[in-house]
Amino acid sequence: MIEERKPSPNVLEDLFWVVIHGRGVWHTGSSTTLARVLAMAGVIAGRESYYYMRYDDSPERVNIPMMFYVVMGNPRVEVLLPEEVEPVGRLFNAVVVMDSVSLLKETSQRATLFDGVKDDAVFVVNTGLTPPQVLALLKKYQLTRDWFGKLVTVSASKYHTNVAFGLIGALLRAWDVVGLEDVLNALEALKIDEGAGEAIASAYKDASVTEVRIHAEESGATGRVGVKTPEFRPGPWNVETYREYQRALSQARSYEDRVKIMPRWEAMAPGLIEFGPPPGGKNIGFKTEFARIEAPVIDKSKCVDCKLCSYFCPDGSIDFESVEVDYEYCKGCGVCARVCPTKAIRMVSELERVEGLNDPELRRLALVTREYGY
Amino acid sequence: MKVLTRTDLEAVQIPRKKPITGARAIAEAVKIADVDVIAAYPIRPYTGVMNALAEMIANGEFAAEIIVADSEHSQFEIAKHASAVGARTFVGSSGVGLLYAAEAIAVTAMDQLPVVALAGCRALDDPGNFGMEWNDTLFFRDSGWLVSWAKDPQEALDMTLVAYRVAEDRRVMLPHFIVVDGATITHIAAPVDTPPKEDVTEFLPPYRPHYPLDPAQGPVTKAQHIAPSLIGPEQRKHVDVAMKRSRDVIAEAWRDYADYVRRTYDPFIETFHMDDAEIALVTMGAYTVNALHAVKEVRRDGIKAGVVRLRYFRPFPAWDLEKVLSGVGGIGVLDFSYSFGSPDSAGVVFNEVRAAMYGNPKPALDFLFLGGREPKPADFVKALKVLHKYVRTGDTPEGKRVFWLTLRGEDV
Repeated sequence: MIEERKPSPNVLEDLFWVVIHGRGVWHTGSSTTLARVLAMAGVIAGRESYYYMRYDDSPERVNIPMMFYVVMGNPRVEVLLPEEVEPVGRLFNAVVVMDSVSLLKETSQRATLFDGVKDDAVFVVNTGLTPPQVLALLKKYQLTRDWFGKLVTVSASKYHTNVAFGLIGALLRAWDVVGLEDVLNALEALKIDEGAGEAIASAYKDASVTEVRIHAEESGATGRVGVKTPEFRPGPWNVETYREYQRALSQARSYEDRVKIMPRWEAMAPGLIEFGPPPGGKNIGFKTEFARIEAPVIDKSKCVDCKLCSYFCPDGSIDFESVEVDYEYCKGCGVCARVCPTKAIRMVSELERVEGLNDPELRRLALVTREYGY
Repeated sequence: MKVLTRTDLEAVQIPRKKPITGARAIAEAVKIADVDVIAAYPIRPYTGVMNALAEMIANGEFAAEIIVADSEHSQFEIAKHASAVGARTFVGSSGVGLLYAAEAIAVTAMDQLPVVALAGCRALDDPGNFGMEWNDTLFFRDSGWLVSWAKDPQEALDMTLVAYRVAEDRRVMLPHFIVVDGATITHIAAPVDTPPKEDVTEFLPPYRPHYPLDPAQGPVTKAQHIAPSLIGPEQRKHVDVAMKRSRDVIAEAWRDYADYVRRTYDPFIETFHMDDAEIALVTMGAYTVNALHAVKEVRRDGIKAGVVRLRYFRPFPAWDLEKVLSGVGGIGVLDFSYSFGSPDSAGVVFNEVRAAMYGNPKPALDFLFLGGREPKPADFVKALKVLHKYVRTGDTPEGKRVFWLTLRGEDV
């Protein structure tokens, strides 16, 4: 039965949205599976259903944060679905996060996981951490406002090598736009194997659901609440203006803020001129830390100062003099750990390095059905 | 709690429509058309089609020769030559990739080889702009290719099947671009009804080339070098006549197609709310759906607006366009193309529409959406309001005729 809702002025708000946050290559296949099964279930339930990757992302590149959207009409979708959802409004009813490192990060395109998310949204996180641990991370790194939704955690790789199925089961516990029956029929329609149905059903049973009531200002949600985006008024397009622009952009706390900072055409120099850093300096406009899932940690007691790691680092993120990792630019590729002759460099999960937390789910990142699609 | 399994469920009717991307839908059409040779070279958004086809071939669902070329230029050369030999071919590219293949693209039309190619609209970067803009395809508007513009994944599938039928028709024999807006069609998975192959075999029988390169049937030379003074205009006239004839062939093909798949399309122009429209938005491609939404919005305020969508750009349906727009008081073109320094410094589509309306001129405004930035639904509502005021009072903001609605900064 499809319930009728009062139409809102923004046609996109009348749709049911699930957004999936994953990592390029690691989660491209499982995100596609998740989105496709949900969309097919939507069609079976009588809703016009769509899914799509965010075109601006690069899911064919390892570790790069990427998003998928699943959208269901009620019953029809009457506008073209936007690529940049955030400026259009708060739309997402449910957010699926494929790995717990994504809870820590700002990404290249979005300021927080709460961009474009409704206040009563369901968060589903694929993790071995406990719900309080996940909530603490969300408060510390992501939350910028009130949240009165539900948090569902599941260790999805327990149920199937493709984490999509465990996550679907978990999502269905707190989000009822499609039912378990619709999803099982969708598996049939898409000819997805038998183990998937069992995985979904078991995860549905096991997932842990936590009701969340957080008033952002009161509850110690330190995230980026109250952090003001610096004003940026461009003068003539020169090095100083450009630095000011980059600084403002790097401190923006929401997508909308970033858009506000972007300069008007009159302020830019012809030919899209950007200014590089002074020799030896860092380019603050091009930090690449968002691409890191694992981080190198150097044990100085074993280090013989041979400088191989510094020579081999493809991003120049290891200083030559002191052999220190610059974590603003390291992408976590692990080349340094491979070339280290004394095994002084160890790759640990970013979650462990930053928060000292050990998430077994991160060690089981599985590469399932690759589908790049670009 | 009891765990539900599939055996507990009542049998439900599984819908024939499944959510697949536009890229996948086109690949399904290529499979149904039983194409012999596919030439591939990756570029977003064409890569999606290439990957889907490669996967089908690898899974043994579809037998075709897929050749991954070293560049777009070679890719279109491969398709051209395979077509000359007598194969049914598929190829495609986008953005600057298409421009790199320009030599082969131009010559394919002059040789009248019925290659079907996908053009997945992409901005002509620099720097790495993969947003949606129409200029990549419009570079080839004068080249003798048929150009059709799909609205959604379903239509992209249908259009691909019809394209083979039209391109290979003896009266036409011209190459055919299927144009789909990058990302908005190619990368959105929408419910698509894929017809079973048996349903369309009669509509699109296996390709029988008119002049195959087969020694058993006697030697044939194609595209031989001949002095311009001997053959130049005659060859051009062949293409010209083929393009003119294609009008009837296209209409006939879509009529026929409807009988086989039970989906009907107006062949050249799709109209919405045009019966009583006082103003009309003219556009192509995926954003038609947003234009329609905008029209519904302003109709609530009593503005009688309609939408006209061009399904073909070549041949340009001037005859139909003039007819459907004869009753309106003003035209607004939603234009994702530019032509710097053109009349009124407007878009390509705008100037084509104006040329088509030369015998019956109407007040016309151009709304440009350039550089790949997405228009919001509200932008089209604004366009309609500006147009409405212009028709009523003759005034536009600052007296302009061309508007860059998604620009940050002063629209001078």
